[in-house]
Amino acid sequence: MADEQVVRDRDVLQRSGAPAPAGKYAWPEKPALLSTPIKRLDGPDKVTGRARYTYDINRPGMIYGKVVRSPYPHARVVSVDLAAAQRAPGVKAALVYREPGTQVMYQGDPVAAVAADTEERARDAARLVRVRYEPLPHLANVEQAMAADAPQVFPNGNVRAGARDETGDLAAGFANAAHTVDQTYSTHVITHVCLETHGCVCEWDGEKLTAWISTQAVIQSAQQFAQALGIPQSNVHCITQYMGGGFGSKFGPDAQGIICAKLAKQANAPVKLMLDRKEEHLDTGNRPSATAHIRAGVSSDGTLTAFEADSWGTGGAGAASGFPLPYIYNFPNRKRIHKDVYINAGLQRAMRAPGHPQGCFLTEILMDELADHVQMDPVAFRLRNLPPAGPNAMWAQYFRDGATRFGWDKRHATGDPAPGPIKTGMGVSAHRWGGAGRGSHAHVDILSDGSAVVKCGTQDIGTGTRTIVAIVAAETFGLPISGVKVEIGDSTLPFSGGSGGSTTAASVTPAIRVACTDALDALFAKVAPTLGVQPADLVADGGRIHVKSNASKGVSWKDACKLLGTEPIEVDGQWQDGLSGAGTSGVQFAEASVDIETGIVRVTRILAMQDCGLIVDKLTAESQAYGGVIAAINFALFEDRILDRVTGQMVNPNMEWYLLAGMSDVPTIDIVLNNMPERGVIGIGEPPTVSTASAIANAVRNATGATIRSLPLHPHKVLAAIEQVRAGGTN
Amino acid sequence: MKSAGVTSIATAVTSVAVPDAGAQIGPAVLGPGDVPVALTVNGKRVDLKIEPRVTLLDALRTRADLTGNKRVCDRGTCGACTMIVDGRTVYACSTLAIEAQGKEIRTVEGLSSGNALHRVQQAFCDVDALMCGFCTPGFVVATVAVLEKHPNATREQISKGLDGNICRCGTFVRIMEAALKAQGVARG
Repeated sequence: MADEQVVRDRDVLQRSGAPAPAGKYAWPEKPALLSTPIKRLDGPDKVTGRARYTYDINRPGMIYGKVVRSPYPHARVVSVDLAAAQRAPGVKAALVYREPGTQVMYQGDPVAAVAADTEERARDAARLVRVRYEPLPHLANVEQAMAADAPQVFPNGNVRAGARDETGDLAAGFANAAHTVDQTYSTHVITHVCLETHGCVCEWDGEKLTAWISTQAVIQSAQQFAQALGIPQSNVHCITQYMGGGFGSKFGPDAQGIICAKLAKQANAPVKLMLDRKEEHLDTGNRPSATAHIRAGVSSDGTLTAFEADSWGTGGAGAASGFPLPYIYNFPNRKRIHKDVYINAGLQRAMRAPGHPQGCFLTEILMDELADHVQMDPVAFRLRNLPPAGPNAMWAQYFRDGATRFGWDKRHATGDPAPGPIKTGMGVSAHRWGGAGRGSHAHVDILSDGSAVVKCGTQDIGTGTRTIVAIVAAETFGLPISGVKVEIGDSTLPFSGGSGGSTTAASVTPAIRVACTDALDALFAKVAPTLGVQPADLVADGGRIHVKSNASKGVSWKDACKLLGTEPIEVDGQWQDGLSGAGTSGVQFAEASVDIETGIVRVTRILAMQDCGLIVDKLTAESQAYGGVIAAINFALFEDRILDRVTGQMVNPNMEWYLLAGMSDVPTIDIVLNNMPERGVIGIGEPPTVSTASAIANAVRNATGATIRSLPLHPHKVLAAIEQVRAGGTN
Repeated sequence: MKSAGVTSIATAVTSVAVPDAGAQIGPAVLGPGDVPVALTVNGKRVDLKIEPRVTLLDALRTRADLTGNKRVCDRGTCGACTMIVDGRTVYACSTLAIEAQGKEIRTVEGLSSGNALHRVQQAFCDVDALMCGFCTPGFVVATVAVLEKHPNATREQISKGLDGNICRCGTFVRIMEAALKAQGVARG
C-alpha cells in the first residue's frame, strides 16, 4: 500500500498529466516501432518449452527441499524433533525454522525444513519431523475476530484503527439528500495462484550464493537474501530469466528462500525448493477482504450529497487491509473510518491493483442503487458526479464512447422483463490507477561488430518487459528488433525496481531511451567526421546513419560501428522525468446472463476503455488488458479462499475447488486502448482488472432486479437475493 | 476431461501394501525401491531407474531434464503438464511413469524440429497467446491434440478441448485466436 500511496501522491502532483519536456530524449513523433504490434521476443522460447523458469533449473548434484508447516491456525511450538527425518533415506539437511516457545499464527506458517536427494524422499522426510504443538484459541474469520467475547489473539488487539477521513459537512449533506441508501457491501479474500509457485534454487560457492528465484524483484531479492543471511550483498547473485506469474506476491525470497539457502549451505549441495500448490495458497499472500457499512445520499436531481462509511477488512495475521473509499465519484461531504481486522490466516500481499477492486465494488454497486432511487440511467448518473476531466481522468469520454460502442441504449431498466428463466443485463463501472515511473538505470554497449546490447536489472513478470526494452532500443538506434540484444533478470545488472504498481514500463523505458540516445550521440561523433558533417546533422533509421537532409549521404549501422575499432561505446543512463506519465483512467461495460433457476451467472460481453499513455507495444499492452479483465471475471464469479469457521483451515487449497475460469467461461472481450503519446509511458498491468467485477455485478443486478452486495457472485447468493426480492423484502 | 491415470495410482498403492509379493495374484509388485523404467519420449527411448510412485511428469522433469511441460496444480486440474500419450491427452502429473511404458509419449519439446516451430506454436507467438508462459506448453500441446482430432474444429470443439487447462495471466482470448489461426494454416 505504501507503493500505491507514493503513486497516488505523484498522480496528484501530475494532475495536469503532461510530463516535463524531455529535450533530445523525447519520444519520436513518428515512431517506426513504438505503439505498433510487436511479437514477444521470448515467445519461441516459451512455446517450445526451451525457456528455463526457476522451477526448471536442474543443477549437478542438486537435492530437494521441503518445508514443514503448522497444521494449526494458532499454536505454540512445544518441541521440534528432527532425528527421525535426519535418519530417513536420502536426507542431506534438516533445520528448525521456528524455535520452541514461539507461536505459529496461521495454518501453513513454516516450522522446519528438510532436504533430500529426491523430491519424493524430501516429502517422506518432512512427514517424519515431529513437531509438538500446544493449540491456542484462533480466529477463523472477521466476525469471530470482532465479536465482543473474542479471545485476544493478537498482542495489540484483534482490531486496529486504520485510516480516518472526513471532508465537508456530513449533516448538511444528508439534509440535502432526497434519498438515502443504507447498506453493507463486501468483497472476499482471493489468493494470487501464481502458476509457477514461489521458490528458488540456491547454490553456494564458498561464501557466495547464486539463487535462481521466481521473483518480480530480482535486485531486491538479492538485498533481502544478504540481509537475512548476514552476508554482503555483493556475495549474492539472483537470476530470474523467466517467471511464471507474480501479481504482487513475489517481491523477495520469503521464508522458503532463506530456508532453501540454509539447507544448501548445510548440505553443501544445490537445493531446489519450490512450494507445492497448497503451500502457495496458504503462505504467499492474498487480496484482503473489504466490507463497508455505507450510508449515502443523493439529491432529487441526481447529485451525490453525502457518504458515510464504517469499513473493515482482513489481511490475515497482522497485515493491513486498506482500500480507497469512496471511489472516483464526487461525494462533497463524506466521512470514513477504517479498521484492520486480524485473523489467523496467511498474510495479505499486494495483489494486482491493491485496494482498488475492493473500493471500486463497494462504491459502484452503491452508485447503481442510488441511480435507481432518482430514476436515472447509470451512465448519466455517473457523468453527473465525476471529478473534473483531465488527461488522467478521461471517464466522461469513456462513458459516452463506450456506451455507444457497447449498445448501452438497448439496456432495459432494472429487472429483465423477458419471459423465461434466462435474464440478461448490462452494467458499467469506472476505475483509476497510478502507474508512474521511478528511478531505474540502464547500460548500453555498442560494439564494433554492430552489436547493441541493452542491460537493465528489471525482470519480465509476463507483461513483455524484455520485449519493450528491445523496442525502445531498436527505435532509438533505427534498427530492427533483431538488431538489439536485451539482458534483464539478473541482480548484477544496473539497478531497477520491482515489477509492481504498474511502474515497470514507465520506469524502465525512459532509462533505456536516455542511455541509447547518449550512446547514439557517441556513435554520431565517430561517424560525423567521415561524412564531413556535424554530429547534430545525423540521424539513425532503417539500419543506417545518415545526414538528416540527405538520406543517401550516410553509412550502414555496421559500417558505422566498425569505426569504433577496439574501444566499444559504453553508456549508462537513468530514468528521468519527461518520458513517463502518471495516472490512468478507465471504464468498463459488462453484459451478463443469469439463470434465475440455478443462480448461475455467465458473462457474455466486456468492453474495456482504457488509457495508458504512450503505448510501447500494442500487442502486449492489449494482452495485459485482456488478462486484467479475465482475472476480474475470476474475482467476480469463481475464486474464493474458504476457511473452515471451526478449524481455521483452508478447505480448497488446490486448483480443483479454488475455481478459476477456463476457456468456456471467457466472454467476448473488446479492448479499446487510448494511445496518448504526449503523456509518456504509463503502466497498464493493473488498471484493467479494477472495475470488471463491479460492472458484472451491476449487470447481474440489471438482469435480475436483485442486488448482490458481496462478491463472489456465487449461485447460492444470486438465488438468495432473487428470493428476497420475490418475497417482497428490501433487497 | 483428460485421462488422469487414476486407476494406475490405485493399483500401485495397493501393490505396495501387499506384504507377501509371492502370494499375490495379479501383476508383479514393483518397488518400493527404484525400478528400471523405459519410456519412449518424442520418438526417443529414455531409460530411468525410479521409484514406481514417480509420476510421468516428474520422471521427465527431474530425471530426464525435459522441463518444457510444467508442474502447477500437481493434481490433474490445470493442464500445464499436458502430454499426448498414444494419441490422447493426459495429465502427466497424475499419470505414473511406470504406466507409460510401451506407449508413445509426446511432450512440448517434441513439437518443434530444430528452429522450425509447429504451426500451433507459431500461431501462439503471432497473436501473443501467452504472457508469463507457464501454462503455455500445456495449452500448446492440448491445442495440437484438438486440431489433430478435429482438423476443422469449431470454436466449441476447441473450447471443450482446452477446458482442462488454466491460465492465470488471462490469455484465453488469444489462445482461441491462435487455435483458429493454426487451424486455418492446416486447412490451407
